Amino acid sequence: MIIALGNDHIVTDVKMQISDMLKAMGNEVIDVGTYDNTRTHYPIYGLRVANLVRDGKADYGVVLCGTGVGISTAADKNKGVRAALVNDTTTAKYAKEHLNANVISFGGAVVGEHLAEDIVKTYLAADYKGEDDDLVAKIDALEPDNPEQHDNPHFFDHEMKLWNEGYYHD
Amino acid sequence: MKIALASDKAGFELKEHIKSYLQGEGKGYEVIDLSEKPAADFVDSSVELAHYILDGKADRGVMFDQYGTGSAMASNKIHGMVTANVVEENTAHMTTQHNGAKAIAMGAGIVGPTKAEGIVDSYLGVNYAGGRHQIRLDMLEKLI
Repeated sequence: MIIALGNDHIVTDVKMQISDMLKAMGNEVIDVGTYDNTRTHYPIYGLRVANLVRDGKADYGVVLCGTGVGISTAADKNKGVRAALVNDTTTAKYAKEHLNANVISFGGAVVGEHLAEDIVKTYLAADYKGEDDDLVAKIDALEPDNPEQHDNPHFFDHEMKLWNEGYYHD
Repeated sequence: MKIALASDKAGFELKEHIKSYLQGEGKGYEVIDLSEKPAADFVDSSVELAHYILDGKADRGVMFDQYGTGSAMASNKIHGMVTANVVEENTAHMTTQHNGAKAIAMGAGIVGPTKAEGIVDSYLGVNYAGGRHQIRLDMLEKLI
């Protein structure tokens, strides 16, 4: 399988652990970043993973930030993407079997390394049961597409310009 | 602070428990129950709650179903919504501080009633930090 991986700067080490595990299992990994621990912004990487999954260039996505909330929300806000934030294998299995989730997420600073690996393995090993097509279609139909955000590497240029000008500060 | 609650059938009992807890003496919350009767499914309950908060009728929300992840997945499809599926107390307060989460979701099959009390206390007990986090929320706001 081809798995797209995305993360923010808080959990790059966890991403590498999952990447190594996925490769050892025989998967192809597309790592969209971030690649170091320099401060960056999770929606950039959630959007990149969502595009790869949506375009069929990856079979599934794994997205990680500190709690998983920010990056899974970013990935979920894309047409055809159903991102599941989970904290255990029970929910990971449910998300694939019944929601046909195509992106899985957990808190990289919350979940320990053993459970993290089990979550991803369980999610990938589970199959959509095909019993919930109406529910899945209902979720997919909630918002219309925003064509501007699809495969557009300049989508966040305005926010990054403001960031670089010091507009956003603590 | 106005807190809205919504639930499907699987989350109903936990919703009732948290409703009583938040209405307890000294809590000081105005609790609005959007699911006096359970919604048909978690898509209906979570999306109704999302619109309720986005329309400014409540400050924050808590949504309930069997696993939590479905309510978060569905409601996050709504433009401007940020829902965190939460199973422990740390994420509950971090998601307020860093994500300005407009709601949390809890799975009644995953989180027990006593822990759910601690989670809502953590979620509601802090405020959004703003600052550097705002660029990420502005980015989320641009997406669907």
